[in-house]
Amino acid sequence: MTTTLDPAPARDGLSLVFAALADPTRRAMLTRLRRGPATVGELGAPFAMTGPAVSKHLRVLERAGLVTRGRVAQARPASLSAEPMKQVAEWAAQFREFWDQRYDRLDDYLRTMPDEPEDHS
Amino acid sequence: MTPWSGTFDVSTPDDTSIVVRRQFGAEPGKVWRALTEPEHLRRWLGDADFPLTTCEMDVRVGGRYRWVFTQPDGPGAMGVSGTYDEVERPRRIVTTEQFDDYPGPSVNTLVLDEAAAGRTAMTLTVRYVDRAMRDGWLASGMADGLGRGYERLDDALDDLH
Repeated sequence: MTTTLDPAPARDGLSLVFAALADPTRRAMLTRLRRGPATVGELGAPFAMTGPAVSKHLRVLERAGLVTRGRVAQARPASLSAEPMKQVAEWAAQFREFWDQRYDRLDDYLRTMPDEPEDHS
Repeated sequence: MTPWSGTFDVSTPDDTSIVVRRQFGAEPGKVWRALTEPEHLRRWLGDADFPLTTCEMDVRVGGRYRWVFTQPDGPGAMGVSGTYDEVERPRRIVTTEQFDDYPGPSVNTLVLDEAAAGRTAMTLTVRYVDRAMRDGWLASGMADGLGRGYERLDDALDDLH
């Protein structure tokens, strides 16, 4: 099997996603949005958070591309957007697979690699 | 697959690091040479699909390294470089690691222990500058969930807490 590493997503974009995911409240909001779009009020309810506090978190998630906001009336329900997460996932999964395969190659190589006295010291 | 493939393990013992474990079927001295000498590293780190086209290594405290992988049929070249900060042959090596186009850098501590006669347990601790960067890595499980109809998202999110 062949592993290729695609050109990296823009570093700034990934950094925004990482920063957005680093906060437990924002991760909980993403979990909630998994069930479907939600308004600011619905997102803030489990945390007893004010509207402005929820909106602040939503702006961080929006900037990272993890959430989109609807244009429906005043509510502007937020929805989960999977693409940035997929980019992060692909990056990490490729990297992990790359090393898993390379360590298999190292195992194979160690079997043919000549011994030296110092190896046993 | 090799007899030791199943020992590959990735874990997150604290907020900013990722620990990679793997065992190899040779003594630590030999594994050390395979990891630190360019003529050996080239033999396994690169392959036909992803050859290691640059392999410069000055393995001593303060020395630098640079590896570049170039895909023959693709546009992609991926470089990684850094410094050797601690070198204690054949047990422990501390490096910085920066991929050209990826978030970083990280400080990587690689320790080789003799797990049994002729068997080495490698522990590689990759420490990022902050939690956000590390969590980007962890988010892989989370994003897998998104890619597969979200079924694993909850578990992944729990793991992030």
